[in-house]
Amino acid sequence: MAFEPNEEQKVLKYDELRIYTDEELNNYTDEELKEFKCKHDIPDMDELEKGPWPSFVADCKREALHRRNLADDRMMIDRDVVEDMLGQLQVSFDEGETHWKHGGIVGVFGYGGGVIGRYSDLQERFPSIAHFHTMRINQPASKFYSSDYLRCVCDLWEYRGSGMMNLHGSTGDIICIGTFTEQLEPIFYELGHVLQQDLGGSGSNLRTPACCIGKARCEWSCIDTQAMCYELTHYYQDELHRPAFPYKFKFKFDGCPNGCVASIARSDMSFIGTWKDDIRIDQEAVQAYIGGEFAPNAGAHAGKDWGKFDIEKEVINLCPTKCMWMEDGKLMIDNRECTRCMHCINTMPRALKPGVETGVSILFGAKAPILDGAQMSLLTIPFMECEPPYENIKEVVEKIWEWWPEEGKNRERLGELIQRQGVAKLLKVLGIPPMPQMVKEPRSNPYIFWKEEDVPGGWGRDINDYRSRHAI
Amino acid sequence: MEDIKEAILAFAEKSKKSKFYFNDIQKAVQKVIPDAKAKPIKKAATALINEEKLIYFSTGSSTMYGLKGRGQTEDH
Repeated sequence: MAFEPNEEQKVLKYDELRIYTDEELNNYTDEELKEFKCKHDIPDMDELEKGPWPSFVADCKREALHRRNLADDRMMIDRDVVEDMLGQLQVSFDEGETHWKHGGIVGVFGYGGGVIGRYSDLQERFPSIAHFHTMRINQPASKFYSSDYLRCVCDLWEYRGSGMMNLHGSTGDIICIGTFTEQLEPIFYELGHVLQQDLGGSGSNLRTPACCIGKARCEWSCIDTQAMCYELTHYYQDELHRPAFPYKFKFKFDGCPNGCVASIARSDMSFIGTWKDDIRIDQEAVQAYIGGEFAPNAGAHAGKDWGKFDIEKEVINLCPTKCMWMEDGKLMIDNRECTRCMHCINTMPRALKPGVETGVSILFGAKAPILDGAQMSLLTIPFMECEPPYENIKEVVEKIWEWWPEEGKNRERLGELIQRQGVAKLLKVLGIPPMPQMVKEPRSNPYIFWKEEDVPGGWGRDINDYRSRHAI
Repeated sequence: MEDIKEAILAFAEKSKKSKFYFNDIQKAVQKVIPDAKAKPIKKAATALINEEKLIYFSTGSSTMYGLKGRGQTEDH
């Protein structure tokens, strides 16, 4: 089904929307950059520039010099914002403590997310970063945008913000770092009305949904991740912008089990494309791999001579469920045992392809916290049809959103609620039966309990009568 | 809707803390109106935000609500 946007899509043309001229954008020389000296003494920042890795300090210095050379009326906040940020960071290094005050009332009218307030507590010393708010911009699906779009966003942030950006934040948003409160509404207006662009999520909201590149470029994608991400982003606008959850909630969409957006590790509700029929095998292409006509892994590791391709060693013996073998010169697969690890398909993409009965697996409860240990999501719904308008998927989402906000504690993620109340409760909420695969090992899994109605005789059995026949 | 809004404002004025989670609002409303569901409560809270009687307070990772004029409710 062809993609149909919910509203007419503008084609952004940088030449029509640009704020800065080419001369303003390229307003310093390499020589000037070498000679650049920050207005504050920043020895530790300078030290961070050394070593083999690209440094944000080097980027900041370029931006600081660029702002020094812009005319006064070409920036809506102080030109020194980058230099003051580096200066304050040096002070934090010296003193071993932060001088940012995080959070607050700031935001754009009607939205409870997308803006994260930040203030300096050294405002007299570093006045240009007295306010240093972050804005999160909802990235286009799969981070698939034109350079015209990116240039427009960069110009806007240079004009009304610090010019410093982070592409992309962990959730995928375009992160614009550092502006003053009075610039928030004008930026939001420009983004919404001119660039047709919304803010992303923050706080106790549905966070910006993220998807892999999906069918746009990838032959393995079992679902149209971009269409699904777009639909759920639009459908759940209220949850994205008006916080009423106990804590953050993330959707991520992977087109296949390779998991290029790592939904299994990073989202409360992970959608992973899968198939329920058999892996498609082209036996001639299998022979071409064995014969060396096709490079394994699509030539991805061709920089080194790994020797002749050995299908036994490189594919069959690496299958985690040992469900592959050669028979009369043909590759055979016991598809019932396949766990969708994707290794064989990744190694021989011209010979093996995912099946054609495609849909989505749904997993719950991952989180990737900074301070605590990471938690992977739990495969709960192995297969579900996945076609627009995704009514069956929305039904599942809403069952979760009736349970978690009602019973989750403040700042408790879905995965923690599942741990606290048990997988059996999750299954009851969803109205689905438990699967043997949910039990890690017999008799020791704490999550699945018998219910009285499942046991012949219920709990009313006389234990003394039982013991008279079973002494131990 | 109006009775839920009144219950929210009454809670926001009397609560010990000047900032509170949505869950706290929900529990307070359900004490007064036991059959009130989460969705209408959220709609009422959103309406109060739009009327500029309530404000959002965000730490970046989680969001709280507050009564405008009580505690810290302006940019600083």
